Amino acid sequence: MSDFAPLGDPVIPDYGQVSDCVINNGVFCGDWFISQWATVFWPPLLSHIVMVAIAVSIGFVIAFFAGLLAYRKKWLAGPIGMAATFLYTLPPLALFQLLVPFTGLSLLTVEIALVCFTLVIIFQAVLVGLSGVPDDVRRAATGMGLDRNQLLVKVELPLALPSIISGVRIATVLTVSIATIAAFVVDDGLGSPIIKAVSSPFNTQFVGAGALAVLLAFALDGLLVLLGRVLTPWTKARS
Amino acid sequence: MTQHSTGTSITFDQATKTYLGAAAPALDALDLEVEAGELVCLVGPSGGGKTTALQLVNRLVDLTSGDIRIGDRSITDQSAIELRRTIGYAIQQSGLFPHYTVADNIATVPAILGWEKKRIRARTAELLELVGLSPVDTWLPRYPAQLSGGQQQRVGIARALAADPPVMLMDEPFGALDPITRVAVQDEFLAIHRAVGKTTLFVTHDIDEAIKMADRIAILKPGGKLAQFGTPAEVLSNPADDFVGEFLGAERGLKRLALTTVGEVVSDSHDRAGAEAETADARTTTAGWPDVEATMTLREALSVVSAARAEGAIVHAGDSRLGEVSLRDLIAPPAAGEDREGVRA
Amino acid sequence: MDVIFGAFPFMIENVGLLLAKTGDHLIISLIPLLAAIVIGVPVGVWLGHIHRGEFLAVSVTNIGRALPSLALIAILIGFVGIGMLNAMIALFLLAFPPILSYAFQSVDSIDRDLTRAARGMGMSPVQVLLKVELPLGLPMIIAGIRTSAVLTVSSATIATIAGSGGLGDVILNQVAYGMEGVVAGAIWVAVLAILVDQAFALLLRVAAPAGVKRLQVANAV
Repeated sequence: MSDFAPLGDPVIPDYGQVSDCVINNGVFCGDWFISQWATVFWPPLLSHIVMVAIAVSIGFVIAFFAGLLAYRKKWLAGPIGMAATFLYTLPPLALFQLLVPFTGLSLLTVEIALVCFTLVIIFQAVLVGLSGVPDDVRRAATGMGLDRNQLLVKVELPLALPSIISGVRIATVLTVSIATIAAFVVDDGLGSPIIKAVSSPFNTQFVGAGALAVLLAFALDGLLVLLGRVLTPWTKARS
Repeated sequence: MTQHSTGTSITFDQATKTYLGAAAPALDALDLEVEAGELVCLVGPSGGGKTTALQLVNRLVDLTSGDIRIGDRSITDQSAIELRRTIGYAIQQSGLFPHYTVADNIATVPAILGWEKKRIRARTAELLELVGLSPVDTWLPRYPAQLSGGQQQRVGIARALAADPPVMLMDEPFGALDPITRVAVQDEFLAIHRAVGKTTLFVTHDIDEAIKMADRIAILKPGGKLAQFGTPAEVLSNPADDFVGEFLGAERGLKRLALTTVGEVVSDSHDRAGAEAETADARTTTAGWPDVEATMTLREALSVVSAARAEGAIVHAGDSRLGEVSLRDLIAPPAAGEDREGVRA
Repeated sequence: MDVIFGAFPFMIENVGLLLAKTGDHLIISLIPLLAAIVIGVPVGVWLGHIHRGEFLAVSVTNIGRALPSLALIAILIGFVGIGMLNAMIALFLLAFPPILSYAFQSVDSIDRDLTRAARGMGMSPVQVLLKVELPLGLPMIIAGIRTSAVLTVSSATIATIAGSGGLGDVILNQVAYGMEGVVAGAIWVAVLAILVDQAFALLLRVAAPAGVKRLQVANAV
């Protein structure tokens, strides 16, 4: 057994009404999952969603403007990209723990780290999207008398949207996954029931919370795909 | 139709562009006067500076020295952005915005100029009719990806005309089209040009396109120097130097025949044929001659005659027979194409 | 702040511990990585060569990305119990998707005109693969391995909850090593991940055929 000592409450799950499945520690006990939904699964799921939403939103804003900046000032693209890639390379658990001395065992620590992991993906997506605008379109727009801001807002950003949205999708899915690790720092998110069940070890709690994380990732991904379809109707149009 | 603004002249006055870090100018002291309503083609090999000359006008490229005036006004008298909104601009591959519908594409400049919605709608519909995309309601909501290359190019022209600019700049607008579509779009554009009378600068690397489209042709040679400026007939008849002669190619004589229609030479031969019509000799002479339409160019008719291995052709205008042209009439027309208006009529 | 500075004396005093844990860490990261390469590269390249299985490659990537490493390791505790085997299976499952999908794309995305030209010159399918597709695809294959290598070194820190050893033991045991130890372990593993990443970046530069600059593709995350 590892030396690992999890945070928070004692780790013995509330077994509730004991069924055969629970006694035998089956892979997934549906009855227990349903009976414990409101206490064991729903609150972490909700806090997980909030954690991911905050991280992706802040990460998006930072990476979006960094992408714009790098697009306008080409020489900045290299350094910003390298910094973002460096952050991305750090193991999530290491980054969490390195932030603890500064920001404590807090949600702030978690969000800072999660934001760091979204940056490189969204930054590159914005840059690739903007750079991918066809030259003839840009030249036609300039030649027609669009100024720099009109060019950006009316032409370049809309055309970069498909790339930006796919970047946000990848960042969201990754953040859902990494946010489980946040449970080592705060008693929040879907990682929390997983860690609490490690020393029991009680399968339904692992499998239930793990499956919820995967399903959440796919659900958010699907929502973003739909959003993309609504925002970029022209990509569907083919003769 | 709304009232179209008549064209305005474009004057290049010692216009010179030397790109940063380049030893020699891309365009060297160009003097050129494009008259109001005129269609001038800029032709020449790559490196001749023809696209540079075009982009100097709407200030996508800035002059190194010299001046360009539209009407009486120097292009540097106003901001580049304002200037561009008064100049129609159409380029190869159309440059249509893929995320805008046809309607939104055409409305781009009117919208940023703050036109009322109603006026924009009316203008858009009018322009689509003009470029031959009707019924307009089926085309307005489409995206560029749903159009063929020729249709995209037509929308590109409509977009360039949207704010009724007095001046049009066209940068190899038909360069990416297949030959058949290309001819069709060229014919349509010529019709539009005659109807709306915009002063047009038209860049092409295709000398045949220039001969077909231009009122006058400006031939630029490497180093950005103007080699010759004149009507297609002048240029073809009297190349200014060896460069122009070589650029026009060995088929220069044949190209010149494309400036005259059979209808223009047939009356002469018809009179002569009439005088000799009674002789049996003449009737046997024309036996086996192919039929040609009066609207055909001499070059096309020559091709028909050659294919039939005949000595001449019978000329028709619809159902009525106008007369005959002999091989000699075809290859040595009197003062071929000197009168451009006659050719176009 | 003191804790951060305290981490460095800790490293010096416990260099033996850290090196031993690093050894474990590399074993549980690299063995699954090797297994994923041995299986993923040939399968991916073959699928790319016949231009089939795009759906498979994309799905595997998406699922792999969505699968939280923590959940995976925890679930495996239920199936294989505590220990190194658990961690290795989990890390293999994490390493496999990027390697497979990059290998697939590396060959699938090569300009069809090139392979058509190669076939037209009389190359056999194996020759097309060995002389055209593999050399051109190599940078991207290595990019996939690079992504997976960083991922396994990263995720191996969490594998400690399954009792597999490695640097995670230090990072997650504040009781035994103090906050200085935790921070020292975190710095140590961060440096390890960066070194692994840079090693593959170097390999990438060496492996790119002269005259082929597909590095921008390879550098994409």
